[in-house]
Amino acid sequence: MPTVRGNTRSCISLLLYRRATYGLRTLAPALLLVSLFCTSLYAQTATDTSSGASGVRAMHVLGLSGVKRNVHGTLTAQASGLNFAAKGAHGTVPIASIQDIFTGQDSRQVGGKVLTVAKIGVPYGGGRVLSLFSHEKVDSLTLEYRDANGALHGTVFSMPLGQAAVLKKQLVALGAHVSIPVESAPEKKEAGGNKQ
Amino acid sequence: MKSNRSLLPVTLARVAWPALLLCAICLGFIPRGFAAEKTETSPWSIQVEPVQAEEGQLPPDFSMAVYEDLIEQLVKTNKFRQVYRSGDHQADRVPNLLVLRMTLLNFERGNETARAVTTVKGATKVQVHLKVSPRDGKVLVEKDVQGTVRFFGENLKATVALAKDIAKTLGETSFPEPAKAAGQ
Repeated sequence: MPTVRGNTRSCISLLLYRRATYGLRTLAPALLLVSLFCTSLYAQTATDTSSGASGVRAMHVLGLSGVKRNVHGTLTAQASGLNFAAKGAHGTVPIASIQDIFTGQDSRQVGGKVLTVAKIGVPYGGGRVLSLFSHEKVDSLTLEYRDANGALHGTVFSMPLGQAAVLKKQLVALGAHVSIPVESAPEKKEAGGNKQ
Repeated sequence: MKSNRSLLPVTLARVAWPALLLCAICLGFIPRGFAAEKTETSPWSIQVEPVQAEEGQLPPDFSMAVYEDLIEQLVKTNKFRQVYRSGDHQADRVPNLLVLRMTLLNFERGNETARAVTTVKGATKVQVHLKVSPRDGKVLVEKDVQGTVRFFGENLKATVALAKDIAKTLGETSFPEPAKAAGQ
């Protein structure tokens, strides 16, 4: 009897092992394909966010009151100020209150949490390889402004490459105060360690 | 029946995992809840000044992120009666006001892709020297604080870590009574 029990156990464990390895073998390419598809999809959506006549597609990183962090919306430079409009959220920075405008560049991984989790799930370090191809360069636009009480506020937006300088030019043309002229802005801001 | 018995540990393991996970989550949340209850509001208000750094050492987006994150985290602690921003005229009339000043010690801009690929490279670090004092009084808190993002997330997450650390430091500090601090 003990031999029968031992045989049964070994059979079950062998079956489980085979099932697991078979599952892994079948799942690995599938996961890789899904991740690649997600990457291309996100990259496509990221490149589609170009500026139109109505404004620039941007992400609110932080600082704008009444708007949550990491919300995507449209950024528009108007005579009243810099407007950010997203689904169910809206914020404005009046031109007269702007103390300074800075532009910069950064590199980030696309796909958000979904792709990050998917990359972790890819076996044999495939997620790391995916990370090599799932990044994009973005512009950042930082505004320093003061409210009616003189309190200092800061807000940061992230947008497709090349759009921050355009917005800064528009804001300066509308009368916003800046410490660094538009033309020389990228060179001077690189000093902060922008190596990406 | 015997084969069912042999499968019992597997079944138990399957049931135990979610149960263990649930317990771990609960245990993680309970101490946080108690910690939040422990914080007492001090008679002080606080005004936050932006990070002082030499030109070009700290990118403006990081500087503003530290400032904004810190204000958000300080409000969350409920330690202070009021949290004022730099230059706020309303703070001029407040009697018991602490001023928080930060000086940049070190900044290393990492790379999110390098972090995702190598795990060990590409960390972003922001280190500041923190000083908290009444308007014209003695320095009450002085400490070097660092915020780092090592594995996942964007570079700007380092500022959130820094702000949380500063808020935790100030939350755990017992400030003297305003009259005593003025007498010093």
